[in-house]
Amino acid sequence: MPKFIFLLLFITTTLAAQTKMSTIEANALKEKVKTYASTINTISSDFTQYKHLDFLANDIVTSGKMAFKTPNMVKWEYSKPFKYSVVFKNQSLYINDNGNKNTIDIGSSEQFKQLNKLIINSVKGDMFDTNEFSINYYKKGKNSEVHFNPRDEKFKTFIKVFHITFNTKGDVIEVKMIEPSDDYTTIIFNNRTINTPLADEIFAN
Amino acid sequence: MRYLLISFCFLCVGCASYPKKNKFEKKETSDTFLRNTHFSDKTEDYIYKASIDIYKRHFGGILIIKKINDANHRVVFTTEMGNKIFDFSFIDNDFTVNHILDDFNKKILISILKKDFRTLIKENMKLTNTYSHHEDLVFETEIDKKKHYYYQTDNKISKIARVSNGKEKVVFTFSEINDTIANLITIEHKGIKLKISLKSI
Repeated sequence: MPKFIFLLLFITTTLAAQTKMSTIEANALKEKVKTYASTINTISSDFTQYKHLDFLANDIVTSGKMAFKTPNMVKWEYSKPFKYSVVFKNQSLYINDNGNKNTIDIGSSEQFKQLNKLIINSVKGDMFDTNEFSINYYKKGKNSEVHFNPRDEKFKTFIKVFHITFNTKGDVIEVKMIEPSDDYTTIIFNNRTINTPLADEIFAN
Repeated sequence: MRYLLISFCFLCVGCASYPKKNKFEKKETSDTFLRNTHFSDKTEDYIYKASIDIYKRHFGGILIIKKINDANHRVVFTTEMGNKIFDFSFIDNDFTVNHILDDFNKKILISILKKDFRTLIKENMKLTNTYSHHEDLVFETEIDKKKHYYYQTDNKISKIARVSNGKEKVVFTFSEINDTIANLITIEHKGIKLKISLKSI
């Protein structure tokens, strides 16, 4: 029996293991992601979002579509289990809550500007700003996982760390945002297509 | 003198009790406690898409209510994108703010939310009177020294009215009820322009 437990423990730790990248590997990944991100004009993707709260029996699962167009238009459109979309465009947030429309001017808010930049950078994966984050690189099977720890004290009170998973091409397949309480939100991208022409009308909300 | 009498009469009508105004009929009962089963199942995650209308402004989010243990509930509100706006704990008669965004950290707002959520989740109350009203039974109780009337339709709590000076101040309605889950809930404040609508997801 102890042997069995030992084996089980071994298997679990091996499966969950992430090996830290060497500096050379980390730099290579960073270059790959940055180069890939620089070629991106549009992204359209399905996504599934899992909100994990420690005290709940199940994660809250929502899903929809995400669209991005350079330089700075992003739309998150939830369709299940409710209709809700938010567009980040021209220093404003356009919200459509099942037909209830609302615009929030973010031009004057530094915090929102930061958020907008972060959302764009995270969908592209290019968050390698060492002034804003301390960054750690890991191998996860064939993929890579990068941990971005915000340096800003105020920011840290919202998000403790971002985990972004990249596939072998350097494209983002998963974003996990962990709060100081260790509750987290995971967004998994599916059917991600790059540089398919997207009309501006898609970003009207 | 006559004017004084007339105004005195008006005053009396003005402050007539809520049961009297609504023509409730008093019922004799041996029950001493009232039980509200909404949010009472520990195994259930109560998740709602929330719409809040306050003074012509509209915003939405996700409201999460969980019974952790007896007389212990957690109430969390997040944006649709998952960011936590507030996180409250109600344990016995204690109330704790575990987390709240700076923009929402206003004493008056927290006080309103605390009272409303306490009413939503409070399970056992001492019964002060029982009435009948059309097909409904109406139970009178006190929460935080305020009179509350619980309307029971087909054995389910369908409405709660928080009453002050004989008038409804806040009205909670529950519909499409399956067991301990009310799929639609509204919380409407009569004094301030605040309405919260919840739809189970």
